[in-house]
Amino acid sequence: MAEEVRTQTAGNMWKVLVKAGDKVKAGDVLFIMEVMKMEVPHEAPIDGTVKAVSVEEGQEGLDADTVAVEIE
Amino acid sequence: MLEVIEPGLETSVQDWPGRLGYWNQGFPPSGPMDSWSFRLANLLVGNEPGAAGLEAQYIGPSLKFERDGVIAVTGADMQAKLDGAPIPMWESVAVKAGQTLQMAFAKTGARGYIAIAGGIDTEPWLGSRSTFHKAGVGGMEGQALKKGQVVPVAGANGKAGRKVIDKARTPIPTDKQWEIEVVAGPNDDWIDEAGHKRFLGSDWKLSSKSDRTGFRLDGPDWTFTKKATNKAPEHGSEPSNIIDQGYPCGAINLAGQTPIILVNDGPSMGGFVNPYTVPRAAFWKLGQSKPGDIYRFKAVSVEEAQAMAHKLRELCSEASIAK
Repeated sequence: MAEEVRTQTAGNMWKVLVKAGDKVKAGDVLFIMEVMKMEVPHEAPIDGTVKAVSVEEGQEGLDADTVAVEIE
Repeated sequence: MLEVIEPGLETSVQDWPGRLGYWNQGFPPSGPMDSWSFRLANLLVGNEPGAAGLEAQYIGPSLKFERDGVIAVTGADMQAKLDGAPIPMWESVAVKAGQTLQMAFAKTGARGYIAIAGGIDTEPWLGSRSTFHKAGVGGMEGQALKKGQVVPVAGANGKAGRKVIDKARTPIPTDKQWEIEVVAGPNDDWIDEAGHKRFLGSDWKLSSKSDRTGFRLDGPDWTFTKKATNKAPEHGSEPSNIIDQGYPCGAINLAGQTPIILVNDGPSMGGFVNPYTVPRAAFWKLGQSKPGDIYRFKAVSVEEAQAMAHKLRELCSEASIAK
């Protein structure tokens, strides 16, 4: 079953570090958001393969709790 | 006492109206960005409206209570739970020693406020407990809360079940559109008529490069009067440069072509013009808006801005608490 990684805060998408098909380990940083000039890294909760990435670098005004990456 | 289990993104001790009287030495007022929500949280738990409480930004903290008490959560909805059970916002709630308040991301708004009966009892600095982290003063060791810290709270008996009436709760829009009041000046005569029209008639998008120092806006370019383009060289080379001057808190500071609203932890002086100023009574809107939100500015007079502050003071009173 795919695991969804959701945005933890509102903000902009500063860096997206994975693409579909990448193998990741639990704790790997998948993407980094920016809010209040702070980096908010989001990590993989499980080992697996990235199934889908639904965010883009430079995207502005994202809401919290938006699905950004799916891992299976 | 409160133990910090998780600090959240940036949670700090603030009091209201903050560190007043030291602007001429470069110390900003600090204090809660949304003082409307903050003051009412304090009133709910029986504190003075300005007592020290917590401001949580974007992602709330988890805090464990070391003794029985009464708390209130207002402002942004950070999905507050007490030992896993949701608690109401805008209402005083009894907590027991050993219980944990857990908060998550802000579903609406950006800044949540936590008041606790008795108030936070850190050492004041220059007359205020507000955190000003750029100078490392106030609050808990001059910084945002850190995991494992124990935050001192003064003893007091609050009463649970006190509620803020619906019409006295901050109306956070759901469509990301905000109307923000502005007063012209101090340097409005540096902007030409077309520039003023463009400022008041355009959408301005809040950048993610915005924090308690400044709120950066994206929008159209500015145009200037001769005052800006034909001036003595000591002003500087850009049209928006001016010989260093004092800034009002709330100044819309024009750095080149980028307006930055200088807010609670902002600088007291510098060499850019400030064509407009956001009155303090409108700061709560800044505090609750998020990157990507759209501002439209509405010009008001000084008298209207003062009336807004007066109305806000009336709202932040016992009259807004349901009996």
